[in-house]
Amino acid sequence: MPRVELKRVTMRYGKLRAVDEVDLTIADGEYVTILGPSGCGKTTLVRIIAGILEPTEGEVWIGGREMRGVPIEERDVGYVFQNIALFPHLDVEDNVSYGPRVKDLPREEQVQVAKRYLELVKLLDKMEMFPSELCGGEQQKASLARALATGAKLLLLDEPLSALDARVRVDLRYELRRIVKALGLTTVHVTHDQEEAMSVSDRIMVMRAGGVVETGTPEQLYTQPKDIFTANFVGETNLLEGWVKGRAEGKSLIELRDGSTVEVTECGHKEGDAVVISVRPEFVFPFTDGLPSRVQYVTYMGTYWRVVAQSRSEDRVEFDVPAAEGKLYHQGQEVYLMVNRRAAVVYPRPLEGIAEAVKLE
Amino acid sequence: MPTIKLEGIGKRYGDIKAADGLDLEVRNGEYLCLLGPTGAGKTTALRIISGLTKPDKGRITFDDKFMNEEEPENRRAVMLSQTYALFPQLTVAKNILFGPDIRDVPDELKKRTLAEMLDLVRLAHRPGAYPKELSGGMQQRTALARALASGADVLLLDEPLRALDARLRISLRQELRSLVKSLGITTIHVTHDHDEALVMADRIAVIHGGKIIQVGSPAEVFDNPISPFVANFVGQSNFFVGKVGAKREATEVRGENGRSVMAQPCSCREGESVVVAVKVGNTEISKEGEGFFEGRVERILFEGRNLHIDLEVGGLGHFAAKVPSWRLGKLSMGDKVQIRWSAEKASVFPVPPGGLEEELRVE
Amino acid sequence: MRWLEKATEMISRRRFRKGWLAFIIFFFLVFIIIPTVFVLSYAFTNWGDIQSTILNDPAEMQEIWTAIANSFEIAGIVTLVDFLVGLPMAWMLVRKKFRGKEFLDTIIDMPLAVPTAALGFSAAIFWGITPADLTNPLGLNIIGSPFLLIILLHIVFSYPYMVRSLAAILEQIDETYETAGRTLGASKLTVARTITLPLFRAGLVTGIILCFARSLSETGGTVVALTTVGAQKLFYTAPTLIDEVKKNSITNPALIPELSFISIILIVLALALLAVMAIIVKRAHLPIRKIWPRPEKILSRGLAPKAKDFSSILFLSFIVLIPSFFIFTYVLTATPSQPMNWGMFGEALLYSFIVAGVVTVIDLALGVPLALYIARGRSKRLPETLDILVNVPLIVPTVALGYSLGLFWVGGQPVSGAVGIVLVILAHIAFTYPLMVRSVTGAVEEVDPVYEETARTLGAKPVQAFRRVLYPVISSSILAGAIMAFTRSLGETGATRAVVEGANTAPNFIVNLVQAHDYYSAALACIVLIVISYAFMLALRYVVRKRRGV
Repeated sequence: MPRVELKRVTMRYGKLRAVDEVDLTIADGEYVTILGPSGCGKTTLVRIIAGILEPTEGEVWIGGREMRGVPIEERDVGYVFQNIALFPHLDVEDNVSYGPRVKDLPREEQVQVAKRYLELVKLLDKMEMFPSELCGGEQQKASLARALATGAKLLLLDEPLSALDARVRVDLRYELRRIVKALGLTTVHVTHDQEEAMSVSDRIMVMRAGGVVETGTPEQLYTQPKDIFTANFVGETNLLEGWVKGRAEGKSLIELRDGSTVEVTECGHKEGDAVVISVRPEFVFPFTDGLPSRVQYVTYMGTYWRVVAQSRSEDRVEFDVPAAEGKLYHQGQEVYLMVNRRAAVVYPRPLEGIAEAVKLE
Repeated sequence: MPTIKLEGIGKRYGDIKAADGLDLEVRNGEYLCLLGPTGAGKTTALRIISGLTKPDKGRITFDDKFMNEEEPENRRAVMLSQTYALFPQLTVAKNILFGPDIRDVPDELKKRTLAEMLDLVRLAHRPGAYPKELSGGMQQRTALARALASGADVLLLDEPLRALDARLRISLRQELRSLVKSLGITTIHVTHDHDEALVMADRIAVIHGGKIIQVGSPAEVFDNPISPFVANFVGQSNFFVGKVGAKREATEVRGENGRSVMAQPCSCREGESVVVAVKVGNTEISKEGEGFFEGRVERILFEGRNLHIDLEVGGLGHFAAKVPSWRLGKLSMGDKVQIRWSAEKASVFPVPPGGLEEELRVE
Repeated sequence: MRWLEKATEMISRRRFRKGWLAFIIFFFLVFIIIPTVFVLSYAFTNWGDIQSTILNDPAEMQEIWTAIANSFEIAGIVTLVDFLVGLPMAWMLVRKKFRGKEFLDTIIDMPLAVPTAALGFSAAIFWGITPADLTNPLGLNIIGSPFLLIILLHIVFSYPYMVRSLAAILEQIDETYETAGRTLGASKLTVARTITLPLFRAGLVTGIILCFARSLSETGGTVVALTTVGAQKLFYTAPTLIDEVKKNSITNPALIPELSFISIILIVLALALLAVMAIIVKRAHLPIRKIWPRPEKILSRGLAPKAKDFSSILFLSFIVLIPSFFIFTYVLTATPSQPMNWGMFGEALLYSFIVAGVVTVIDLALGVPLALYIARGRSKRLPETLDILVNVPLIVPTVALGYSLGLFWVGGQPVSGAVGIVLVILAHIAFTYPLMVRSVTGAVEEVDPVYEETARTLGAKPVQAFRRVLYPVISSSILAGAIMAFTRSLGETGATRAVVEGANTAPNFIVNLVQAHDYYSAALACIVLIVISYAFMLALRYVVRKRRGV
């Protein structure tokens, strides 16, 4: 039985559709991330699952029960808030044992449960402290322990790491997945950070303007995104405008604006179709032959150099060069760029134009 | 555009030393990133430069002119805060023209400045909008235009990209930098994100505990960190503790259990206890071939471009490495791999007095 | 406008700012604080007189202590009732959305617009057992005990203070905490009890102090109510006792030690009690650890919360609103015994409005700068001390304040004419100034300093930063403070009578009419005063709302 099922869930505020007919099924024990830019409806959706908001239309099923009319406190769901929301007047132990306390468990058991989860998040030594005495990462860990201590089988994380420093975020997200998997929980994680989504999830649902763009595993979304928005949003990519010129055995030939051609694997578009090629920077490399381009600038990224070039076909193309090769490229230099045929994905040219289709806000 | 110097700045808030002997020089027209964890004293430093906070001790000079007693409104150093602080009751246009309005600039010039700024930040279509109607990115660009229109010589950016979505940040980094550089304004950009600093800065100043630990170009700070803290903060590093063995073109460091690794040449003595640091991105792993020691794959995390590999090395704890994603099929959990790196990519440091863990702690 | 530039330039110079600040603080201390507590010095200078005339007279002592005990008991009960009934109302206003909420929001403030002398009359003829010529077929007329009657009266005008204070605190508590509690499995009642209420505590002190002090202070309404039911010689509260003694002391100066003594005791006890209350509320472990999940869940759902909301509205209507406006039915059903002296009433109205107007202007000019200084100077000793001192004139019962102030400026001598109006103005400034300062301080503290700071780095001098950035945001709070000061001054009786016996203010006019048993004229005057005050308040609220909408 799937742990969570959303059927045509819609949330309307007047004319605005904050969430637009979303369908989602989450299996027991799965870690699903809802990923999208600010305002896409992801937080609204997770608040609907928790019962904080009641959807205008649609059904929410948790653990085989329909949730309409079921108040928050009876849904048996753990929730971690973006702004942490630890009770400031209670110390860490009292915060974490709040769930057991509400169930009227005996005091000793309350403390036991609290200690168990605090140990899991490695905060046992901070038990007597108050939230204001903890730093950001510790606060979030305490908040997680508090949600887990209710014994809920479904965990909802609302941008749990957004308020933290970059460094702390990276450390904490690995911890998050490790703990959740160890406890066998089903998790719904909301974020705008695609790197975070890819590193922790079993599956990702990409949302935009209230609707679902596509759903897939991190690898699927990165290597074979079905939608051009996903291609640009999950990881970086180069977008080249062109037309299908011809097809040969297992290959298609795309002609760009300046007449140069790019070979890609068979893409299913007909000759003459207007298309966009998406290819990630790590699959573009300088060669003796290829797209003529001019280097705009070069940036040192630590373990590699990122080169940004403008192709003769007026497309912006970025590619990477290992740091070991030193700074071989400079502004104004001419290069020829090859595209890894198998890594390129071809999309129909969006009617509203590429810029609109991949707009981030 | 002035050269800014902070000498021996100290500032206390109760028990907390927000600045503790802070020395920094920001060159004329440069884009400097002040990089450090939360609580390191970055915002305090920025506030002291702007004049909003007075230091307990030390000197601030702009082009050698003593500035400690100057009021903020006379310093021509404009601050852009994390939350942008757009005046909610004014439109975009009125916000941008706030500085010129205060200085009573003639109307003709004001109109021209406004048009230029709106064009520069791509907001020419929304001059009459109010801040709450704008998206995060648009608010940020409005705040930037307002700062630039004020005719300031120094731009102080307090985590200007923090409030934006992760993906948007990556797109706006270059835009922000080129915009500022084209105007030639001395800029100090505070951030906790080392990727951001690497991409945007002419020079990076790493700050921790109210002191500047290292200043240098992005390459210098990344490849030649001055301490284990910098080695781990500007890009995660792996650490190996041992005693210095042979010293030739490379330094040999011997750990426990007979393991030994190679590192850069250093000025350490034979037998000295040292810490070797090598960036995770420069750590290589392979199933066959030779390495410094063996590790077991504990976890594989897909990050898009790369896989992040967590390794368990018996007796040495945890190591991490990054490999390109196309190697996904070739590695699985539990695999035994050889770990190695190029000697010149590994830095050597004396063991920190408080211990390695304390040194690396970020919060 | 070069002179404006020059003025701005001059104002921005540090020395000018420091000088101006010194003047503001000087005004506050010398014109407000010192006169308010000046009577305390009488204890040292004339202890002998006190001893001989009062301490050695057991009958007098008995009378004094009874009156004081009455006042404190009444204030205590009123505050408790206000809290218990005001809390659900405040919760409704802040946390719930429903049609008619704005209407509810407006009518809760209605008692504030009614001068307490008018309220006293209205409440007395609604609740009290009155002589035959006053008995109204629509009135309840069931309360025989003056004690109970005064409690019911005081609840009427202190209720809005409590509800507003509680609502203000509730607004500041992030709703996320309550949501978090519910996701952890707690029912709404449990969350309110274990999470919201404890977070309330810091701000609760303010609400309690304001409410308690307001009841303790009240003179006009109490005098009128007691006179209306014929109990004015049987039952005294401390302010009504002071009022009567003051009246008599004009012809009998030997009563001055008694007057001073009661004032001193009142002031000292009020300050002490409230300091103690502040400490208790902050430390007391109110929330019980134990949770009873099943009963609390049942109480959180279905009928129980609806009943709670319904009874809150019922209470508001019956105990607060109807008694406030009952006077209208009296006028419609009763017959006048004497013609109304409209000329004199007109003069009294003019006097009251002039005083209120001048008081408000001075409060604005000198109170707003102090409020800014306090709000921006948190964690420094002088601003913190001033912040505490600002509460003193609020806590000291206004009748004692009036007497003390009169003692300070003219040694308690009777005055009239121009000097009289000046004294009345000074007295009214003393207890309205804190209202202005608190309103503005509260508003400024909610504004992130980053706005002004950004403006300064953009080149704005502090005055420019205030005018262009801070002022637009707090202007509605400044206006709200002005409204509060104006209506408070308009409705005040006790302080006016204590400082200048024959001051011709509108409330005083009403009290005199009631004491002369000319009830009908008194009722007419009340109605006129109510209508004018309320219209004025509504108009200003409309302006405030419009501005806030931007």
